[in-house]
Amino acid sequence: MEYYTLSRYAYWKYYILIMYYRLAEYPPVVRVWFVFGAICLLLLVLIVLGNAMRTLAHYRFDRMVRHNHRRYFERMKEIVLSERTLELAEVSAILELPKNYKMRERHCRSYIPTLLELRQGLGDRLSRSNWQRLLQVLKMPAYFEDQVLSRSARKRVKAFKDVADLDANLKEAVASRYLFTKDRKLQMHARLHAARFGTSYPFKVLEEDPNLVFTQEMVVKYHNVLVYRSENGLAMPNFIRWCNRVPLNEELRIFAVNEIRLFGRKEDCAELLSMLQASREEDFSCALIRALGELKYVPAEKEFCRRYLSASFTERQVLAEAMGTIGSGNPEILKFLADDFLQTTDYVTRMILLRVLYNYGTRGREEFYRLKESTAEEYQPYFSHIECDLIDSSRYA
Amino acid sequence: MPEWIDYFFNYFVIVYSAAVLLSYVAMAVLAYMEHRKHYTYHDDAYTIDELKKSPYTPGVSIVAPAYNEEKTVITNVQSLLSLDYPDFEVVIVNDGSKDRTLELLIENFDLVKVPYAYVEKIKTKPFRGLYKTKSDNPAFKRLTVVDKVNGGTKADASNAGVNVVSNKFFVCTDVDCVLDKYALYRIIWPTMYSTRRVIAVSATMRMSNGSLVEDGKMVETHPPHSLIPLFQDLEYTRSFLIGKTALARINALQNVSGGFGMFDREIVIKAGGYDGDSFAEDMDMVARMIRYMCDAGEDYRVVQIPETCCWTEGPPNFKVLNRQRTRWGRGLLQFFTVHHDMVWNRDYRRYGMLTLPYIMIFELIAPVIEFSGYLMVIYLFIKGAINYSTIWIAFLGLYIFAQLLTMVIISYDNWVGTSFKRKWDYLWFVLASLLEPVIYHPINVFFSLRGYWKHIWGTQMVWGNMTRKGVQQRQPQANPQPQQQPKPQNPDA
Repeated sequence: MEYYTLSRYAYWKYYILIMYYRLAEYPPVVRVWFVFGAICLLLLVLIVLGNAMRTLAHYRFDRMVRHNHRRYFERMKEIVLSERTLELAEVSAILELPKNYKMRERHCRSYIPTLLELRQGLGDRLSRSNWQRLLQVLKMPAYFEDQVLSRSARKRVKAFKDVADLDANLKEAVASRYLFTKDRKLQMHARLHAARFGTSYPFKVLEEDPNLVFTQEMVVKYHNVLVYRSENGLAMPNFIRWCNRVPLNEELRIFAVNEIRLFGRKEDCAELLSMLQASREEDFSCALIRALGELKYVPAEKEFCRRYLSASFTERQVLAEAMGTIGSGNPEILKFLADDFLQTTDYVTRMILLRVLYNYGTRGREEFYRLKESTAEEYQPYFSHIECDLIDSSRYA
Repeated sequence: MPEWIDYFFNYFVIVYSAAVLLSYVAMAVLAYMEHRKHYTYHDDAYTIDELKKSPYTPGVSIVAPAYNEEKTVITNVQSLLSLDYPDFEVVIVNDGSKDRTLELLIENFDLVKVPYAYVEKIKTKPFRGLYKTKSDNPAFKRLTVVDKVNGGTKADASNAGVNVVSNKFFVCTDVDCVLDKYALYRIIWPTMYSTRRVIAVSATMRMSNGSLVEDGKMVETHPPHSLIPLFQDLEYTRSFLIGKTALARINALQNVSGGFGMFDREIVIKAGGYDGDSFAEDMDMVARMIRYMCDAGEDYRVVQIPETCCWTEGPPNFKVLNRQRTRWGRGLLQFFTVHHDMVWNRDYRRYGMLTLPYIMIFELIAPVIEFSGYLMVIYLFIKGAINYSTIWIAFLGLYIFAQLLTMVIISYDNWVGTSFKRKWDYLWFVLASLLEPVIYHPINVFFSLRGYWKHIWGTQMVWGNMTRKGVQQRQPQANPQPQQQPKPQNPDA
């Protein structure tokens, strides 16, 4: 009897052939099903192993984070609360990092939760210079640079977020390569980074990008960036320029008007009024009216009255609210609002007009009660609704 | 046996089964792509922080109908009021409860009837009054209680809630649901990053049976340890993390759950609100919203988010499961009776050309085919004609596939941020998936057919009361720990 010694490859071939000839006895449906089942089994094993390995990595990382927190949190706190600007060597000495310690990617990453906790906990109390030195000793700028230049989109986006949260230092040139990338999310984070830390005029990309899509997410994030810049004394963009020079992007123009309102820039009101006089787009006009109202720009009242009768119900509601917010006490305005209450057919507009009158000082209150007495029974629920203090009538929709 | 039956099983059923399995594989791949995108770009803690700081964060209203909920209503309303979000209101609709639901609300939240100018934008049963608090507690000021005559359905009560909400978006939920503290941040986010108008957002829901709840807040999540809710938990997880995520990826999501989903108020009103006659009112609502958007030629999106935002109590026994599934079965058939013109209709885009045909072929017809399969197996067994040398291969393959799907959802769940407190809790899912094909699935087939039967013969059917056992409540601690904001995601996770 002859014996053959099977090599590694031949083993596989041998068993596959056994399986093949065994399956050959079955109909094709069963054969296909068997192959499908075998692939599923293989995938099943791979997924189970993958999950186990990920869980293990996650556990190890958590352990490392806890260890770093235990060992370094108080020392870091001492560094950033120090009133004197410390030298790098001093920071290193306080931290007592192991000698010849090679800082790997996972080590840097494991410091981030502790640093975040420290920064969020201490807020304005921490010394900015010592904070930057601490990050430098931990080699965080180099770590973030590596992450931003890595191939993984997740690592890049995460690095931009961490840099913003930690107020870390990242070279402008590193982020600028992604300012026009096709990956929209990455592009947005790179632009936000540039807008937050940029030193020259970081908003140029917004003005020059013809394909700009300005979502609500960007509205929220850019506003937070602008608040950061304002709090840290960095140069703010010229919002009026955005309103005028970016005719293609309606959302950006509306955002600029809203920012003028939120930052209380009264000096821009005259310009906003002239824009309102020329404006035809409803959303943009509403933003302008809201801004002029909240900034209490009295000369705008005349334009409000002029627009009112030709405006849509939505715009009328904003106009009425704006007139109420300005509250100049002009008797003509009160008469105008009261007259429209009797004429309008929209119940939300009617409710807003009544609320504006009710809150428009003593004269407005008098006009409200005069209307209440003179109008028909069917309108009385509106008056009762406004008079009730328990109902927040500004939320009526 | 007639020859046509032989042909039916040898050709049609085999091709049909292969198509079902391939559709599962395709959906798992699509879901993978969506979860990968979410994992790459989304950071929960960062998003919450950004929204918290911004004056642009939109307001959200929560609408929760309550009918005879005196046992749980106070804890659950407190839970809703303790959510973390800068601008939200809670609208509880007392749908003519016969117990002390309204009285308890009035007593506990210091409510008084106010002269609210109610406008019936969507037709409902008569409105009786609206209650607001006179207390100075700022949390209570977010609460509005609407009292109305009982309409017999959740749809009617939800419509009354929609009539009084003041925000652009509203979340529709049940008063017995436990919401995650940060659920509103998560569910509003898709409306902000999307370049198209988001008309509805669906979030992942899980079973609360087995989990630990403290003061109406979820503190420890565990899988249910009794069989029926465990099966349903597995089914929900599979449906949300694979099926719905995959369909949402291609903007073809068919349903936003009535248990927890967010809607654009304006579109809901324009679409006519919830249909009080429908047994699948949530699916019907989404269909009518999509119909409105397509008819108006407007672009839209219906989004599914993977994070678990809501826990609901699942049917504790077969009796309640029977009632629930029979209603779902009936609702599905009723849905296709009402919206049959949308199926294979290009005007309704992917929803008409892909989603509805898929549901019709693989969900509506499936119970009929499966039931015929069971009958055939029984017939062959009696005749002694089963080929035992091949049937084990078929069953083994099916089992392996079921286990594979379970492992896939466990991986996805881990990926999006595991909701269970302990990793080994997932072994319960493995156990459920081993038993599901032989216990749960055949029973559900029977319940669905029962629902079809009731719809065809027009049997009178009313909404039954859900028998609630209540979730595990932990005794209040002396110094309760505040719920932590989600930690930054571990890049290795």
